Amino acid sequence: MSVDEHSTPRGANGGRVVPNYAVTRGRTRSDGRELPVEALVTATEHGLAQLSALTPEYRTIVEACTSPQSLVELGNLLGVPVGVARVLVSDLANAEHLAVHLPLVGPDGRPRRELLERLLDGLRAR
Amino acid sequence: MDYAPAEHRPAGARPGAELLPVKILIAGGFGVGKTTLVHALSEIPPLSTEQDMTSLSVGIDDAEAVPDKRTTTVAMDFGRITVDQNMILYLFGTPGQSRFWFMWDELARGAVGAVVLVDLRRVDDCFAAIDYFENRGVPFVVGVNGFPHADEFDDETVRDALVLKPGCPLVRLDARDPGSSLRALIVLVERSLQHGR
Repeated sequence: MSVDEHSTPRGANGGRVVPNYAVTRGRTRSDGRELPVEALVTATEHGLAQLSALTPEYRTIVEACTSPQSLVELGNLLGVPVGVARVLVSDLANAEHLAVHLPLVGPDGRPRRELLERLLDGLRAR
Repeated sequence: MDYAPAEHRPAGARPGAELLPVKILIAGGFGVGKTTLVHALSEIPPLSTEQDMTSLSVGIDDAEAVPDKRTTTVAMDFGRITVDQNMILYLFGTPGQSRFWFMWDELARGAVGAVVLVDLRRVDDCFAAIDYFENRGVPFVVGVNGFPHADEFDDETVRDALVLKPGCPLVRLDARDPGSSLRALIVLVERSLQHGR
């Protein structure tokens, strides 16, 4: 991944003027496994130590992930579609700047029973 | 599928402290209250994200009807509930238009299930969602949103109108009210625990 320092041009209203394909250098698919939209992401100590060397998009993500963020939240934060956030998060995870926490699903593709029970307890306690 | 490989663990993470994302879909026709319900329950301000999707669509409006590949961007509302120290529940308001069913596949994978919201003045709008979840074996409950005149129909009449299978829970709620919306989620998780086990 690129670690060049550069600034991202912003439009008059602060919106993005760099097209999404430029942010991801033309990639529309992440190179790793497809991360589900609810996958949670946290910064690693390594990632936080490397913050100043990261490009603005990468830095924004790692900084935000000092508390757990999902792919959809990161997409919203950056103002990019989830697919773009997925590519950027994959880059950062491959470089071990981020840790990815995937949903625990059983062989049937559904959440494991113990997760459902825990969710039920949590919701009932609200 | 066992994930969270060791090299991706957060530095200094404690064993047993693994974060657990879970998700529930909020489905139904346009304007039925999906976004309202997500916002009533979410602990974060209303957020929306864009989802890119590529679909093989047949240009039914074109004289030539040539299939072509298109990329569509669909806005998706979502909310977040911190269930406990490690578990975070995401609520996704799924795009109402049935032609976006292919997007639901990605969302439905690994989901606890779905709340299908119904406006009794426009029951036809929810059939696409009900059919989808039935066909895919995704647990769901039907939530009758408290629009005017919703009380004029008893549960049996509503079940008949929606052709609901026996055992499919039907709940009455007000999507603006966190209490009744939360109850719908609880009924869904109970349903999901029984589902196919």
